[in-house]
Amino acid sequence: MTTATGTPITTRTDGNDPAGAMPLPTRRDEAWRYAPHRDLARLAFGPAPQAVDVPADVLAGIPQLGGPLVVMVNGVVDSELSQLESLPAGLTVHPGGGADGGDSRLAPHTELDAAAPVDAYDALNRSLSGNGVSVLVDAGEQIDPPIHVAHLLHPGDAPNAVCGRVRITLGEASAATVVETHVSVGDLAGGASVRTSIVLEADATLEHLVLQDLSAQQMLLARIEVNQHPRSRLRARSFNLGGRYGRIASQVDLVGEGAEADLAGLYSGSGDQVLDQQPTVVHRAPGCTSRQAYRGVLDDSSTGVFSGGIDVRPGADGTDARQSNDNLLLSRQAEVDTQPRLEILADDIACQHGATVGQLDPTALFYLRTRGMTEDEAGRVLVNAFADQVVEEVRHDAVRDWLSRRLGHDHD
Amino acid sequence: MLEVTNLNASIDGNRILNGIDLSVGSGEVHAVMGPNGSGKSTFAHVLAGREGYEVTGSVALDGADLLEMEPEERAAAGLFLGFQYPVEIPGVNNMYFLRTALNSVRRARGEDEISAREFLAVAREAMALVEMKPDFLERSVNAGFSGGEKKRNEILQMAVMQPRLAVLDETDSGLDIDALRVVASGVEALRGPDRSMIVITHYQRLLEHIRPDVVHVLVDGRIVESGDHTLALHLEEHGYRDFGEQDGAGQRLSGV
Ligand SMILES: Nc1ncnc2c1ncn2[C@@H]1O[C@H](COP(=O)(O)OP(=O)(O)O)[C@@H](O)[C@H]1O
Ligand SMILES: [Mg+2]
Repeated sequence: MTTATGTPITTRTDGNDPAGAMPLPTRRDEAWRYAPHRDLARLAFGPAPQAVDVPADVLAGIPQLGGPLVVMVNGVVDSELSQLESLPAGLTVHPGGGADGGDSRLAPHTELDAAAPVDAYDALNRSLSGNGVSVLVDAGEQIDPPIHVAHLLHPGDAPNAVCGRVRITLGEASAATVVETHVSVGDLAGGASVRTSIVLEADATLEHLVLQDLSAQQMLLARIEVNQHPRSRLRARSFNLGGRYGRIASQVDLVGEGAEADLAGLYSGSGDQVLDQQPTVVHRAPGCTSRQAYRGVLDDSSTGVFSGGIDVRPGADGTDARQSNDNLLLSRQAEVDTQPRLEILADDIACQHGATVGQLDPTALFYLRTRGMTEDEAGRVLVNAFADQVVEEVRHDAVRDWLSRRLGHDHD
Repeated sequence: MLEVTNLNASIDGNRILNGIDLSVGSGEVHAVMGPNGSGKSTFAHVLAGREGYEVTGSVALDGADLLEMEPEERAAAGLFLGFQYPVEIPGVNNMYFLRTALNSVRRARGEDEISAREFLAVAREAMALVEMKPDFLERSVNAGFSGGEKKRNEILQMAVMQPRLAVLDETDSGLDIDALRVVASGVEALRGPDRSMIVITHYQRLLEHIRPDVVHVLVDGRIVESGDHTLALHLEEHGYRDFGEQDGAGQRLSGV
């Protein structure tokens, strides 16, 4: 096994940046309890290595969505691989590297950056990622083709971990779909901290999809921050599938009255994968709605984590918040840790949460076997049916097809 | 066609089936009647290969030893079980389910998979047989189905799979008069010289529509009496008291 013996995280960065002051999370940090700390400690973060080759089959392995494509290699936009010509009217993509010309629509993101980092990886991201790629939709515009941000992780020996940054702003009453995929080149150990901030102005509608399919020794630490203004709607779907550790932590702040956040996800693990979902919705304004519906399928000795937060602040009266987490354990060694985090400080609230952990139903397996299916086939049918409830909600055919293939479904 | 010899089954040391002997000839329809808890469903499950029972004795279907086979191998050998409680499978549509089922047994028998077009014709015919609504194929297997729809779906599956031997476990229970008529005429339509059936029932009323060749009475896991269809009428009138059932009064046969 190759062990990256890069300089530890805390000294790799500049002496005066906040990361230097933040210790790595440990098992005692509730939000990091089930993370593979020993492997995480081997990550040595640094600036993106210069000029790396990206084999053609890596790009062929991501969903082909036919719309604008931003390819970020180790957190840096690769303008040759990206397809940003003839963008639809109303859509602006700044490829980062200081080329955003001080676009005033990015101001809210700068404000988000001013908040204290939540952990060492967040701090590192702020010091190393630069201003990243920015996706901006003008007020009133509806962008039909999905905007695809493909993160390619191509770790070197040391540093073997990089940072990426995405900023998304939807102007008033605009609508768009943004798909972020995370894939890797080669099978070296490595990781990425990717931070996405999203601002939805009043009445804007965003569908945001995350597809995590890194190779077996790599780790994704994704953090997604969303600010939602009045009546804006977010539909977020995450598919946490690959990697040694896939962490998708999102914080959705409902700051405007009547905003709606609909979050769902599927995590499907095997081997010794750890797939960690950490969504939090903060209701700060009255009359907002939130949904969290996550499903996990855990095989071998994989671990699934769901820690879902609903935080209803004083004054957020009339909040309607629901959360569900359902898990299927396919082996005795597989494990799932599920936990709601609820903090409710307002009146007239509807709040529901529930979690299930189960195995394949033996009666259903028997039923399918009496209809001629082998035990394996019957198991596959039941697992796919369980996972499909999340997959089928994806509106874009190309993404859905990619997911079906990736999950080995052969439903027609 | 089916030879059951001294079949015993227990769960966790509790004997449920006590030496069943049964011989079903090609094209014959046998009814198995008995009070609740007498072991009817256990008999059906053991024939179909459900795990969890300690089983002794022998079961031969067309000379092949069923007890040695996995459930799916029994299906390929031509056995079909209509469940007393059909299982709901949300997220799997009937079209996919039926096609996968049919192709599984075809593959196991070394036959080609059925084409989409042929399959559709087969499915449509089966749907018409049990008067299933056109949206049936797109719906999830049994999910949200009424009791009657679930039982009709079992007969529909039998029509698609075209088994050698069908074991129908209380396919008539919980049905209103119309659904009972649909199910009964479906079963009648599938009767044929090359297909045998074991119709498990608690009530006589299904047997008004499907006249069995032989009626067996199962009490405490053993066949205590066999006879022609008039035996069912006798049971209707007198219950199982004559056959060693302790509390016959609690097991009225007519009505639901
Ligand atoms: N899985 C099981 N575990 C323990 N006992 C069982 C199980 N299944 C059935 N039995 C017992 O076996 C007997 C026969 O049950 P069953 O075959 O379902 O009867 P029937 O279908 O005639 O109503 C009953 O006493 C029932 O309680
Ligand atoms: Mg029964």
